[in-house]
Amino acid sequence: MAEQKSLPGRGLHTRRPAPRPPRSPSDIYVNTKTDFRAQLARCRQLLGAGGLREVRVHGLGLAIGRAINLALQLQLSHPGTLLLSPSTSTVELTDDLEPEGGEDMEPGARNRNNSAIHIRVYRPQGE
Amino acid sequence: MSNAKEKKYAKRMRNQPSNVSLSSDIGTEQGHRPRHNERQENFQQHRDSHPGPSGQHQRHPYQSHGTHFHGRGGKGRGAPSEVPLVPKYITATMFAQARAAEINAMVKAVSQKSSNTLVFQSLPRHMRRRAMGHDIKRLPRRLREVAKKEMEKSAHLKKEVSKNKCRKARRRHGNLQLEFNRRQRKNIWLETHIWHAKRFHMVKKWGYCLGHRPTMKSYRACYRAMSSNCLLQDLSYYCCLQLMGEEAALLNALSRLTSTETGPSFAAALCLSGKRQGSLVLYRADKYPKEALGSVTFLWKPACVPDSPSEKRQLWIWCHPTLKQDILRELRQVCQCEEAPDIAVCKPEPVIAPQPAKPQTTPKTTAKKRKRKDQEGEQAVPVKRIIGDGTRDSLDPYYWTSKHTAIRISDLTMEFVRYRLTGPLSHSVLTEALRSAPLHKETESDAGPHTWWADYCSNPENVRLHTLQESMFQLLQAVGSPAEFPPGTILGLTVGDPRLNLPKQKTKAVPSVEKYEDRDQVKSIKLNGFPLECAQSFIWASDICSKVTENKVSEQEINRMRSELLVPGSRLDLGNSESKIPVLLIQHPGKRTGTDRPGWGSGWDICLPKGWGMAFWIPFIYRGVRVGGLQQALQHSQYMGIPDAPGDFPDCPAGVQSAKETEDSLLEAYKRRPPAKRANFIKHGVLAPFRCPWEQLTAEWDQRAGTVTKVPAAEKEEETTMDTNQEGEVPQGTVTEAQEDVRMEPGSQGTMGNELDMEKAGGAGVCVLRNKRILKELCTLCSLCNQRGPRSKQIPSPAPHGPSDMLLQVLHTFPRSLVWVRLTMLTKGTPELHAMICIPSEQDLVQLATDKSFAGPQEPKHGDPIKKKVLKHQKETKKKKAKAKMEKEAPQQKEEMSRDDDSDQLTLGLWPNPLPPVISHCCRTLLGFVTHGDFSMAAGCGESLGFVSLTGLIDMLSGHPVNRTGFVLVRNPSSLQYRFAKIMVAA
Repeated sequence: MAEQKSLPGRGLHTRRPAPRPPRSPSDIYVNTKTDFRAQLARCRQLLGAGGLREVRVHGLGLAIGRAINLALQLQLSHPGTLLLSPSTSTVELTDDLEPEGGEDMEPGARNRNNSAIHIRVYRPQGE
Repeated sequence: MSNAKEKKYAKRMRNQPSNVSLSSDIGTEQGHRPRHNERQENFQQHRDSHPGPSGQHQRHPYQSHGTHFHGRGGKGRGAPSEVPLVPKYITATMFAQARAAEINAMVKAVSQKSSNTLVFQSLPRHMRRRAMGHDIKRLPRRLREVAKKEMEKSAHLKKEVSKNKCRKARRRHGNLQLEFNRRQRKNIWLETHIWHAKRFHMVKKWGYCLGHRPTMKSYRACYRAMSSNCLLQDLSYYCCLQLMGEEAALLNALSRLTSTETGPSFAAALCLSGKRQGSLVLYRADKYPKEALGSVTFLWKPACVPDSPSEKRQLWIWCHPTLKQDILRELRQVCQCEEAPDIAVCKPEPVIAPQPAKPQTTPKTTAKKRKRKDQEGEQAVPVKRIIGDGTRDSLDPYYWTSKHTAIRISDLTMEFVRYRLTGPLSHSVLTEALRSAPLHKETESDAGPHTWWADYCSNPENVRLHTLQESMFQLLQAVGSPAEFPPGTILGLTVGDPRLNLPKQKTKAVPSVEKYEDRDQVKSIKLNGFPLECAQSFIWASDICSKVTENKVSEQEINRMRSELLVPGSRLDLGNSESKIPVLLIQHPGKRTGTDRPGWGSGWDICLPKGWGMAFWIPFIYRGVRVGGLQQALQHSQYMGIPDAPGDFPDCPAGVQSAKETEDSLLEAYKRRPPAKRANFIKHGVLAPFRCPWEQLTAEWDQRAGTVTKVPAAEKEEETTMDTNQEGEVPQGTVTEAQEDVRMEPGSQGTMGNELDMEKAGGAGVCVLRNKRILKELCTLCSLCNQRGPRSKQIPSPAPHGPSDMLLQVLHTFPRSLVWVRLTMLTKGTPELHAMICIPSEQDLVQLATDKSFAGPQEPKHGDPIKKKVLKHQKETKKKKAKAKMEKEAPQQKEEMSRDDDSDQLTLGLWPNPLPPVISHCCRTLLGFVTHGDFSMAAGCGESLGFVSLTGLIDMLSGHPVNRTGFVLVRNPSSLQYRFAKIMVAA
């Protein structure tokens, strides 16, 4: 997770935050910092007492595994009533590069791709 | 008679003439003593008069009971019958003569009032009337004279507030404006002052009246606004300095103030083109890395014509008001448009105090005096003063021109309004509140007052640019957060009057999913920012700005027109006469260091021409922003981990000054408590709970490391001469501060004292390490130490054998520098201001490794060696005070007062000023101090920012077992408990 490692051959860079579309209460962005049980409890609450028919779980990069885990755990806790429909996408991230050849040169920026997963957890219509 | 009664009696008798006594006494003594007194008096005063019969019957008056004085009784009225010796006849003249002194005293006592009561208060109850205090005619006639005098007296005593007018008259617009203008003579009001004053705790700071925090409970709400909604702050108190001249000349001059080692300078390519705003730390000319002046942000006006070298460029430098005078002085010097060098040499003035104008000392300059716009004398209704600047006297010159380089420096403080929007919703707030200005319509008959806009719109090229800017502005809605833009992006814009599309009710601007898009255009502006020409704005042209300010339609007028609308509540359309306001939007990038929460606290700054403050403020408020004050600004910078001006710049004069102010206020608060109810910091082993002795800290570390570089004597001398030259430019506050430090130094630091003196003569003796390369080196050293986890175990860590060669070299050249660090508490604990950062011992680390929940070691309680001394001193002073009171001599008292001041140095629970060695005073070695500490709502644990000694840090990082060197101990001044924290150097 170290942000500014001076790896040989690659300039130093600063990451900009990932783009995040405006979200509704049913969009859950999974990260690696928050306690997993808390995230699970939040989703359960939304689907149970919150009365939502579906939640969308988003995970980016390192958090993909956690997102999948979260969705599966959700399904386990409501046996037989929840369906999953995952989809994947690519998210473009931006890094600010350090200027090469002196501080006053033009600092670059580059785009970098990262994979993301979006899992729709929903109750089937028939119920 | 008991003691108290005696006292009371003495008090009553104080104002009585000596020959009159009270009846209570007489009742017991049957008038023997009085007669005796009277006799003596008579013989002394009237030697020639023979003792007549009247003289023999003097006890009569004193024999009736119940009233105080019975002078009248002496005339023989109603002598009690049981007294046998009643005279047969009385000679009136003799009788009166014998009692002349008595009568005189009586008359005097009656005419002179002894008590504090007013005349009507001394009336018996049955004679009192309603409203006697106001209406003299309600008093008995004989008292009217006295009462009249009293009333006049009290009218004089009362402050001549406008209370004499009724409230309605006072609140009338003109009178209110007069009053407001008077009240902002000393501390300048921002344009949003009235709005703030109703909702904020106001403080007078830096020559302005500023809102500190909202009166409503909103500390956490403001944090939420910053991280997920939108927080609005008024930053108009920031000062804008404008430099105009040829690009090469400007860069040449300015390069002396900066160093590329600290990051991009004024010449950074993107900033120079006008596309981005840059930020840097200024130093005194050619003094890097010593003698910093403070951090500034700057922006260049975009070059309009394809590069012509002789073109005049325009540069704005935005700085904090406390830094302005220093920066301005230095700018004048490097641009060679300085005034005579002796300015403000011996003027004892604080940093912000307005300089007295010195026309005779400005031979080179063409300094113009700013005209005041207030025409209170001529006009019936006083105009609201927009001009005003707390950092400068109105008589001071506000621009300077150089003869050699043709550079013109002007001080544009308070010429612009600057608001800061922080948080991801600032995009929606901006796009909803602002609307691009409508193009000038030629078809309409009414041309309107905005001729500049008509001229501008006549050129199709300009119209194209305007529509481009508008489309770019609309694209903001397609981006989720301001942090996704390149840092410091600038967007110029001309907007219509925001008051016209004010919603009827306060709404909350929310981003809509429909507007969010991910097209190529959005991608390109995210990657590279807006196209260069979009940064153009008319706000750079001073004439247009002043026109815009002048032609503002007043609030009243707008409301009138609104009320005349045919359909109530519909949108007001002013056509061509609608105001067009040039604005500048500047992105601020938010958190850019550290791993967590990248881009936190990003947002947009908006610059407007003066006079338009409230017209933009209210529309923003109506879009559901939350407003913060200085406290929120501090919180913002703290959570981002960046130093806050001016408190976090211990090496610049303003920082020293602000530290001094903090110390004074804290000390005052401390002394207000009784000694038993406050912490005894000596027992806690805290040497300086209210300040950070940076000089002593760095000097001691330097000494300990044994790397005292011997400066050759010649060089030293040179340094001192240079310093003396500069002393004139150092504001007085710093010099005195430095002198004080010097005074406290020699006691503890016999040998170091001298050297320190020399360093301090030119300003603060410490320097802060801002070299990016070295900071990065330190950062990696720290982070390598900090890495503990599954991943770092796999990598056979490259084991920082110790500092690299570069670091050692730096250590050698600048052994006395400080490093800005960020600390995160490991488990519990909230660091406070001036908490101490210490090096853990080996044993602590071992204990931590075995027990994860180990809280930290405890400092053993220290003894208080000076307590006795203080108490003794206090006793002595008390005695002296008592003595002085007895003698009651003015000079004595004065002396006493001065002695009192001396004794203030000795306070119970605080070390007196020559501090003992600081770093080894406690059981853990001191590394540095915390300058900001709080529970971080962003991180969910205690976080703090502070400085540590570079020598100490490297010593710590190289000396410890490799795996754990990233840990330090933090101890609050009010506690004995050390707690573990992770240390990080921000690169």
